[in-house]
Amino acid sequence: MALEKQEQRPAAEKGEHIVARHLIEDDSIKEEKNLVIDGVDVSGRWNTFILSRVDSEFDRSFFREIKDTVVGSRINRCWQCGMCTASCTVTPLYRRFNPRAFIYMMQLGNLKELKKYIDVAWRCVGCYKCSQRCPKQVNPAEMMEALGLVIKKYFPEEVHSKLKVDEDVKKIYDDMIIGHGRLDLAKLHTSAMQKTGRTKELLGKIERDAIFKMAKDGRAFSILRLGKPHNWSRSKEAIENYLKNLNTIENGGTGV
Amino acid sequence: MSENILVVGGGPAGLNAAVMLSELGVNVALVERDSFLGGNPKKFKYKFLFPDMQPADNVIGELIKKAEAGGGIKVYYSSEISDFKENGKKFDVTLKSADGSEKKTFDSVIVATGFEHFDPARDAKYSYQLFDDVIDIKDLERMMGENNFVRPSNGKPPKKIAFILCVGSRDRHVGNQYCSRVCCTVSVKQAIELREHFPDCEAYIFYMDIRTYGFFEDLYWQAMEEYDVQIVKGRIAEITSGPDNTVICKGEDTLLRGPFEIPFDMVVLASGMEGGPQSPEISSKLGIELDEHGFLKPENITLSPFKSNKPGIFLAGACTGPKAISDSITEGAAAAMNAYTYAVKNR
Repeated sequence: MALEKQEQRPAAEKGEHIVARHLIEDDSIKEEKNLVIDGVDVSGRWNTFILSRVDSEFDRSFFREIKDTVVGSRINRCWQCGMCTASCTVTPLYRRFNPRAFIYMMQLGNLKELKKYIDVAWRCVGCYKCSQRCPKQVNPAEMMEALGLVIKKYFPEEVHSKLKVDEDVKKIYDDMIIGHGRLDLAKLHTSAMQKTGRTKELLGKIERDAIFKMAKDGRAFSILRLGKPHNWSRSKEAIENYLKNLNTIENGGTGV
Repeated sequence: MSENILVVGGGPAGLNAAVMLSELGVNVALVERDSFLGGNPKKFKYKFLFPDMQPADNVIGELIKKAEAGGGIKVYYSSEISDFKENGKKFDVTLKSADGSEKKTFDSVIVATGFEHFDPARDAKYSYQLFDDVIDIKDLERMMGENNFVRPSNGKPPKKIAFILCVGSRDRHVGNQYCSRVCCTVSVKQAIELREHFPDCEAYIFYMDIRTYGFFEDLYWQAMEEYDVQIVKGRIAEITSGPDNTVICKGEDTLLRGPFEIPFDMVVLASGMEGGPQSPEISSKLGIELDEHGFLKPENITLSPFKSNKPGIFLAGACTGPKAISDSITEGAAAAMNAYTYAVKNR
């Protein structure tokens, strides 16, 4: 009778019964919802484990893996001065995006910590201010590329669930690059304004002044004259072929 | 008649002072407490010196050879000053050794009594002498001098080694507030040597600041960029024994705010320099001042770092504070010049 009552109980949240639950991160709790050992039902709270919250290893295999990539080859140089983060365009907007800390996590193979930043790790806009200012020539901007590769490799599921590709933006980029071999900033700007519903601003005073200024110093005409790179059709064909193959591989589920 | 000058201490500073004075035609009495010349570099068998990794023998061996070649230098091995009196502007000194005592008058005196390595056993948190695999930089230097790079506990090559900086330095807890200046560079140098010997051995340096000042910085860059030595910011609070015959370093990664307890095969403590018992001893015997750090106090640290507060008594080398060998040698020459000038003036 009592058992029946228990079975009717709603399933408990993971680690719900832990006293001072707020002190323990989700990832540190191991709890199987349904577990039977030797015929004894130890589901839920009866099999709860709390993993150590102390780091107990530096994983250098990870460091070596990064060092072997082209973009990450200078990881051994970083001494954590913070010049990259101090220079960063993105950090003031997303404080959790911290190139210095990411490089350190990669140096020590601290995947546990890296995992927490999957959602912001891709925020680098590639302005290269960090790489220009880095006193050790670590090239942090490209190190962020290495970070992307790593995250994609080790946490494919999380990346898939946390990062949604904006199909419209992807299409604009694809059209521009495959069609013209380069980005068209004016077009990007216009489409971004349209996407965010700021079409009116396109005809506002600021924009008009900017256009007038650019027409005056000649930049507007150089934008109009934007041509395609030499022999672009052949490059275009190669890129399209590559993308076709990439799709096949990704669809095949083998992963790249 | 040529001058008589007493040099106390046969390390790099004292040796160079004695050699320079003898080249000026001075009669030098070189008093050494040990039965050999060369001071700490010889005692602990330093093998290669930073920053250029030249064999220590090129430097120390060369100085010893010159000092022992005779000339104007008389070396008193295993000796000490048993009596010291001022006699006008000169000094009456009794030198005592196993062979007996000798009383002499000197025109001036150079004190180059050097330093002692900090004994990490005094700071219990590092578990020095408790675990075989916890050693300090002087132990490692001696081991490498004997071409012995393996773990003291089992004779096997280490797979993972930690260097801990600022052991016995910059630490009120042990009473030493000063920076010992060379331990960072020595540790970085040793990490390079180890990685060269065992390319598979991971080397970590736990630091608060890495003070490889001036051109010593080259060595630090080299350690990171060519030898993949990893630096981790944070001081180690405890060393305990771990599984599989390892020692665990407990600390905080201050850059990520995370506590860690990492097992290592071997831990090297970068123990600093101290004035040692000889500094207060010589200070009271000669009546010269001691500073608050336990080293001898120069008259003016900037203008005349090689002069004691007493006219006619000069200071050289690490007896006035932590110093690299090259600085000690420089000060030996500076003190020699000053001692000679004083002797000639008061002839």
